[in-house]
Amino acid sequence: MSSELETFTMLPLQIDPQTKALSTTSGSRALQAELASLNALHRSLLALETPNQVPPPPLPVNPKRSANVSKLRDSGNTEYRKGKHAEAVKFYTLGLQMALTRPLWEPQQLVREEVAALYANRAQAHMALQSWAEGAADAEASVEAKRVGNSKAWWRRGKCLVEMGRLIEAKEWVSKGLEMEGDEGELVALLKDINAKLEEKSNS
Amino acid sequence: MFDIDWMSLALPFAYIGVLGAQNANLEPWFPPHLQRNIYLTLLHMEPEPGQEKAPKVPDSVIRAALLRRAVEDIRRIIQIRTSKQALNSLLQRGSVGEDLNQRFLRAEKEIEEELRDVVTEVKTGRWISFPKRIHANFIQANALSPGWGQTIFQSANEIAANTLLRTRLEEIESRAEADKEWWEKRRETIQKDFMRELEEDSSTKGSVKGSDDDAVLVDSGSPTTPSKKKKGKK
Repeated sequence: MSSELETFTMLPLQIDPQTKALSTTSGSRALQAELASLNALHRSLLALETPNQVPPPPLPVNPKRSANVSKLRDSGNTEYRKGKHAEAVKFYTLGLQMALTRPLWEPQQLVREEVAALYANRAQAHMALQSWAEGAADAEASVEAKRVGNSKAWWRRGKCLVEMGRLIEAKEWVSKGLEMEGDEGELVALLKDINAKLEEKSNS
Repeated sequence: MFDIDWMSLALPFAYIGVLGAQNANLEPWFPPHLQRNIYLTLLHMEPEPGQEKAPKVPDSVIRAALLRRAVEDIRRIIQIRTSKQALNSLLQRGSVGEDLNQRFLRAEKEIEEELRDVVTEVKTGRWISFPKRIHANFIQANALSPGWGQTIFQSANEIAANTLLRTRLEEIESRAEADKEWWEKRRETIQKDFMRELEEDSSTKGSVKGSDDDAVLVDSGSPTTPSKKKKGKK
């Protein structure tokens, strides 16, 4: 088996002399996708100022991007408080772009925290605009980034599903949220509300 | 070093993976290591037909390829670790055979060797091209590479986890598009039903006119959930 590790398969690779981008004559989709990832990683490494342009260790983090992300979130919150919900959505969207274009070698935990808050806030702004489908998706994305300690996002998707009349889905979702968050008060209340609506529906 | 949340998420799939692997007894646990093949191909590039010299691959490309190789190693080691739990409980129950266990142990040993290989690559500096390596500066450059030997897998671990997170978020966003379309249509239907009810109400009262009012209501674009109270959360 160690002999397997000493050999390798020569692949049909080309390198563009100008852009240094790698390509292949092979029709393999997996190889093409991998080369796309590799070329993207190469481009982002070239932007580094570290010795040999290798990624710095995940910690400590360059604070610049985090500062920009929170600035955009704060601007969104200010607009939201003024009742300018569509403007708030725009700021949260910019914040998400900033957070999600963070270099991939930086701590994923930090990305999770940042995007969980931004998605949850954008969900709330969508709800204020009665855009239930958008709100439901954003709250789900927030939970994907942060499952525990995120009861607001669990609640918001549940509420959006109720508004769209998707009661059974809402019930499943909120029940899952309760498993994650313990008996959080507002989630408990929402589940009660959903159960009452389901009852009402089966009686009519 | 590895994220625990990830592991617990991957575990149910590990069972499926282990049970599925039974059907292919002789095959290796993992498919060919694409990223490793790319990295080694780049170190051994040959001249294109009609050319005398092999194309020059910059060191930065080699480094990126080595990092991609480490990312795939991280994915494999996470899969091995989660499969191990699943496999052991299946073995205890007698649900899988010994040959599957043998294949697993071989894969486990191979990935450990692969990790050592990558660290060796960093330390020997094969990712620094040959002319530079014999240059006096190389000693200085190489002095920095053992440091990368310690952090390359930390970086690779974050890259693997960040990539997975972004994939999941993209999946949610692409489903959101379809969901939005569904809701637009659904809302129209609700609105039409609501208008019909209104019309029926007004026609029983003998008033036939009212199409102007209808148009205004439809254009207003507000979601029609008339029977529900709207409660915002602050």
